[in-house]
Parts: sequence; structure tokens; C-alpha cells
Amino acid sequence: MKQLTIVLALLLGVVFSTTASKPGKEKEVKIKTSAVCEMCKERIEKNLTLSKGVNEAVLNLDDKVVTIKYNPKKTDEASLRKVITDTGYDADSQVCSQTAHDKLPSCCQKGNESHGHH
Amino acid sequence: MLTQIEQMKLPSLNIYLILLSCLLGGRLQAQRVTGTIYERNETGKKSALVGVNVFWGGTSLGTITDSLGKFDIARSAKTNRLIISYIGYKTDTIKISAESNFDIIMKPEGQLGEVVVRGTSSQIDRLNPIQTEIITTKALAKAACCNLSESFETNASVSVSYSDAVTGAKQIQFLGLGGQYVQTNVENVPTIRGLASTFGMNYIPGTWIQSIDIAKGAGSVVNGYESLTGAINVELIKPDAREKTYFNTYVNNFGRGELNLNLNRKLSDKWAVGFLTHASTLQNRVDNNGDGFMDLPLYTQFNGINRWQYKSDKMMAQFGVKALHENRLGGQMAFRENMRGTSQAYGFGNVTNRVEFFSKTAKLYQDKPYKGLGLILNASQHNTNSYFGFANYDGNQRTLYGNLIYQSIISNTNHQFKTGFNYLLDDYRETYKDSLMTRMESVPGAFFEYTYNYLDKFTVVAGLRADYHNLFGAFVTPRLHARWQPLEHTVVRVSAGRGQRTPNALAENYGYLVSGRAVRFWGGPLQPEVSWNYGLSITQTFHWFEKHWDLILDYYRTDFQNQLVADTDHADALASHLYFYNLRGKSYSNSFQVELNTLLSKRTEVKVAYRLFDVWQTMGQPANDVRLAQRMMIPRERVLFNIGYTLPYDKWKADLTVQWNGKARINDPMKSLQATIERKSMPILYSQSFVNVNAQVSRAFKKFEVYLGGENLGNFKQPNPIIHSEDPFNKYFDAGQTWGPVIGRTIYAGIRIKVKD
Repeated sequence: MKQLTIVLALLLGVVFSTTASKPGKEKEVKIKTSAVCEMCKERIEKNLTLSKGVNEAVLNLDDKVVTIKYNPKKTDEASLRKVITDTGYDADSQVCSQTAHDKLPSCCQKGNESHGHH
Repeated sequence: MLTQIEQMKLPSLNIYLILLSCLLGGRLQAQRVTGTIYERNETGKKSALVGVNVFWGGTSLGTITDSLGKFDIARSAKTNRLIISYIGYKTDTIKISAESNFDIIMKPEGQLGEVVVRGTSSQIDRLNPIQTEIITTKALAKAACCNLSESFETNASVSVSYSDAVTGAKQIQFLGLGGQYVQTNVENVPTIRGLASTFGMNYIPGTWIQSIDIAKGAGSVVNGYESLTGAINVELIKPDAREKTYFNTYVNNFGRGELNLNLNRKLSDKWAVGFLTHASTLQNRVDNNGDGFMDLPLYTQFNGINRWQYKSDKMMAQFGVKALHENRLGGQMAFRENMRGTSQAYGFGNVTNRVEFFSKTAKLYQDKPYKGLGLILNASQHNTNSYFGFANYDGNQRTLYGNLIYQSIISNTNHQFKTGFNYLLDDYRETYKDSLMTRMESVPGAFFEYTYNYLDKFTVVAGLRADYHNLFGAFVTPRLHARWQPLEHTVVRVSAGRGQRTPNALAENYGYLVSGRAVRFWGGPLQPEVSWNYGLSITQTFHWFEKHWDLILDYYRTDFQNQLVADTDHADALASHLYFYNLRGKSYSNSFQVELNTLLSKRTEVKVAYRLFDVWQTMGQPANDVRLAQRMMIPRERVLFNIGYTLPYDKWKADLTVQWNGKARINDPMKSLQATIERKSMPILYSQSFVNVNAQVSRAFKKFEVYLGGENLGNFKQPNPIIHSEDPFNKYFDAGQTWGPVIGRTIYAGIRIKVKD
């Protein structure tokens, strides 16, 4: 039993260490978005996190700024901005994709800033 | 990256800690989070809520709001999820990213049901006076979770094993006893019971499940009297779920394939409709242990639910239909369905059809969120036809269930109560070989349950119900639960209560029917099973090595006043026996469990648990060999270790579970025969202990998720799971002595596609 578990733990350890972020090579960028509510936050964070080269994305709803930690070898700021606009939100001065924006639930579309913070 | 743990190099640290220490991040700084909690009254004005629970998810670090509705809580190193809960209001979870001050307006609950806090993958419901573990979708995704029977893999309290080596039926072990003593509810309606207890665990696909609550001990009186050791409640995906479409497909190395599709649509502000569907099959004959028998039965299952839901400010209603068809075929590799009833090859077959109508209606009181009136109505028809070699077993069960519940408060929300009536009608018709058994049970009942809550520090739930059973007369079911939080990090729970149920000897001991045993009901008609259950549990949280730990200790005892004894100990020159009879003498179960949980880092969860079952039964009267013997097939000890690693939004997820199962008492008809010939007492035999290892890795993409996993990776197989497999028409043939895995290593892969709003 012991040998087996050690082997498996080692295997898992390998999986972990290859997928875990490598802090030395990591870059960070802050992008202002047009997020409205918790649902928007989840949508943007999820799409960014699941994009190639992104280690972490955290959106602060108070200032609508998303902080992205990424691997510059795998992606760049322009691609990250494109992920946000394709999700239906503005990324700094870049305007969102209109089709993606129109698909959002009405409460998450621009001009609904009062929503969400109950 | 060296961490403090590694630098200390304590000998007590195990290999996992050291291996994973490379992942541990830096410490969070101590900060405080403050805020005010309000409700909005009829005129739309905000007013402060006093006594609201504010705590960090998965911990017992918490506080309550003061007379101005304000709270002030130290930041937790373990989580950023702050949970706001108040009875009668919707529980709110807030992700705290930076130090801040919050104004929160709580919304009334809007439906009947206890306040349940959900968050991390599995946790103890902190505030529930009944010791309750919650398995969320996050924990369910840790394993392939094809169905309910596979959903407890990472849970220490519930274990599931095959009941025999042929049929694929599965049995729960809980507090040292079988699944029939746990009330298994789907959305608070008793569901896996009666004839459905044989394969019922396979009838709830994992993709339909939203969460599972496991309550230990006597339980609430609201849903009936049948929970002897506890209650498992499964909540299914609701029609108004945010996931509009969920598609899942699964395949494993033995050729089992599975398709699941959930569709949920909001039709208007008030109406929503949901479809949960499932189809799965195995058509590949597998015999890896070379005993000539299929290790798994071939099967096909079609299963579906259609549910309609209506929600307005004043009422909530839902109704729908469930339907299931399943076909199983097992036995010797050469067996074909047309050989049924011949001695060409030994075969097993089962066809089950089940239909169920369900409805729930609740009247709500907008300005009084603590008040509600609910009505549950269910009707089901369960039909099952089986054969084991030459023996046929057919069963039909029709059930009606109604429950009317009124809940309100006495002067303030510190005193709540639920009261109501229910009615249960069970109509059974079973034939086994040449004997016909029919039973009609009609049981009206009434209940009252009072809950006293003092600032969430001390809670008592006292319940009483009275039922009149048409066959067994009137009986009273008292139950008491108390929860006390003497210190901030310590919760103590005690419980005591009575339970009663009518046993279904054949359906609950189905695995023993795959044998040459002669079935006999001995010593008069079967009486209802009656037990008292007593429990004590302590939940302690503490800081150690800069980490947050939860330690849960619990002890439960179940004492039977009457029990159905299924006795397989005896064999003589004429036959090997399966006796069913009423308990005469002592029967009890002691269950002790210790569980330790921690978050090693923000992304790594670890659980270690040890469980001891000490279960004894007085048996042997039919052969005049009376003694107190260990309950069959229950491993005395079990150790569970689980480690899970998750990146944000499940980009990568890896999970490993190792279980060690101790020895269980088993039986061998040949040894019994020998003892009979030598005029000795029946032999006491034990199985081996074994280790089971499961692991899974999954990766999420924007639109879908893929997973790859393995079960029984150590490839342990029970040697000779079938006694006399070479001669299955022998009277000492027995496939019901299964204590370990019959099939070896299983590798599976699948994909999940979810479309959200």
C-alpha cells in the first residue's frame, strides 16, 4: 500500500508542478472592464482563466479592474483584451464585441450599473 | 520554494505534506472585514438585521451582527468566501478580494426548506443541529460520478460496495449498518426504499445531482419515521438553474458508455421547465478473474425526469414525472437470454420499470419569510422481474405519499416550529419461486417539530410524531437533537431518537439470492424493525502550521429492539440456508469516526479519516447454535485519504483517494457444512483487508471540460468471489460473499459541456 501511494502521490506531484504557476516568468496586467455585477465578474474571470497562458484573473467590482497574471511566452496583452471584448465587455479603451454584448442577459449589459449590488 | 513546513522537518509529517509543500503560497496578512446587514421592508426602506450569522465558508470562524446590524470579522487565511446566513432569508456568499466594508441587503428565502450553506467541496453544515455533511457538485466532479452509488467516494461516512459478484447491485454502509436503515430522499421525498432499495443507488445519475446532504443520527421527524441511522437527501438540478444545457458523455475500458443531457429553460418570469435525461449501457462480456462468470452484468438503462416549476411572490409549485427502464443480464460467460430456465449455463436477469409522479406546492408569505405552508404529493409504481438460475423473483410495489407541512414561529424567530400530517401507502406483491407474498401498508401520521435557537450558540430540535400502521398498530417516534457552540471554534452535537421500518427481506438481501441457498422465513411473520439511535459529535477547528484544520469526532450507537436477521451461517447435507427471522436478543452497532480536513494551500484540500464499526447481532436460532456474532460483510475498520488540487475556475483539477478497508466477517457454505457434520458451532471467517486507489484529472476549457480517471488503480481483485463458480447449480454455490472489488482496474474518460446564461 505504501509504495503504491507514494508512487501515486509523486505522479500527482508531477501533474501539480507542471500545471502550477511558475512565479519567475509571470507577468501581471490590469485592465479596466465594463463589468456590472457578480455574474459579469464570473464570466470575465472564467473566460480569462481558461484562456491559454493565463494563471489567474481577479476582477474587482468596485473599480471594475481585472488583474491578470499570465505567462508572456504563451500569450500577450492584446490577446487578453480580445478575450474580454469577445466576452462582451470593454477592455480599457477597446470597445466590446457588439454581438457578444447583445447575447448577455439584459442585467449584465452596459448601462445597468445599479444592478447587482444588493 | 521552501515553506515553513519543510524547514521544520518534523518526523510526524507524512510524504504528502512534503510533496505538496512546493505548492504552498505565502501567508495572507491579517485584515478585518466590516459591514452592515439590512433587510428591505414593505415600503422599500432598509432596516438593520440583528443576529445574522457572518462566517467564512468551510470554517467555524464567524460572528453575528450587533443591534445595529453591524459586523466586524477577522480575515481568514483559508478562504475569501464570506457567508451571510439568517433563518428565513436567502444565504448570501460574498467573495472578498480586498479589505473592505460591505452593506448587504438580505432577501427573504421565498421557499420552504432549511437554511443550508454550500461552498467548498464537502463540508459540515455548521449551523445545523443535526450533524450534516454536504457533498456539492464540486465534490461530485472529483470522480466520474456516474450515479448516486459512486458519489460517496470521497466521503468518510458513507461507503458503497457491491452486494454480490453477479448482479451489480450496490449496498451502502453507514454507521455500521446497511443502506436500508438510512432514509434516502430525493428532495425530501423518501425515494430509495422498498423494492427500489436493490438497485436504487444506480437510478440517480450523477449529472442530475445538485448536492447531497448526509445527516447522521435519528434525523428530523418531518419526513417520516423510517430513518434509523440517518438520512441522505439528494437535491436535483432545478428547472430554473443557470445551466441551461448540460451534456455529459462517459466511457470506460470495459465498454460501459453513458450519455446525459439536462435541459433547463425559463419560459417566463414565473414558469420554468427542465428535462434530465440519461442513457447508459454495457454490452461487453468481461471476465478478468477467469471464473467463467461475467464480472459485471450487461445492462442498459434509460432514465428521465420532466419537471415544471412555477414561482411567484405568493406561491411556488412544481410537478413532473420520472420514468426508468433498466435491463440487466449476468451470470456465466456463455449464458444467453434464451437459456433461461435451463441448465445449459447459469444466468441472472432483471428488468425494472418505474414510473413516478411528483408535486410540491408551497404557499409563501412575502412579509413573513419564516412562514410557509407546503404540500408534497407523490405516487410511484415499481415493477421488477428477476431470475437467478432456476429461481424467479418478481416484485411490484405501488406507493402513495403525501406530506402537508406548516412552518412558522412562536413570537420570534428563536422559536420555530414545523407541524403537519403525512400519509404513506405501500402495496407490495412479490413472488419468489412458488410462494406469493403480499403486503398492504397504510400509515397516516402527524408530526410536530420545535426548534429553539439562542444566537446560533445553542439550538435544540425536538420532534415527535405519531403514526397508525394498519398492520402493526400505533406507534410514537420521539427525536431530539441539540447543538451547542461553547467556544468560537468548538461545536458539540448530541442526538437521540427512535426509528421504525418494515423490512423487505428479498429486495434488501438480493445478493444472497445469487446462490444455491434454500430461502426460509423462520419462526413466524416478520415484524417491523425498531431501533434507537444515540449520537455525540464534536467539531473543532484550530490553527496548526499556519493552516486551518477541521477535526470532526463522532460516535453513534444504534440499538435494535427488533431487526430482520438474514442468516447465511448454516449449511447441512440437504442444503445451504438463507434464514430470515425476527431478532431474539441483542443487536447493536457502534460507529466511531475521526476526520481531519485542511486546506494545505488555497488550492489543495486534504482529508484523512478513520472509521471503526463494532456491529453485533444475536443469531443462529434456526440451527440451535445461538450466539452474538459480528454483522456480515461490514469491514470493522476503514481509512480514507483524499487530496484534491484545483486551479481557479477548475482550469486543472486533480484528485486522489486512497481507501484501506479492514476485514469483514464472511461465510462459506462448504465450511458451514463441514462444521455441521462435525457437530461444531458454525465457523467465523474473515475476508482480507484491501486498498482501493482512485484518481482523476480534469481540464476545463471555455466551453467544455474533459476528464480522465481510474478506479481501483491498484488492480486488487477479490480472489474467488464466487464459491463453486465451476458448478453453479450446486446447492453450495454462492455469489453473495463479495467483500472486495470483483473487477480490476477501471480507466475512464469523459467530457462535460455546460451552457450557462
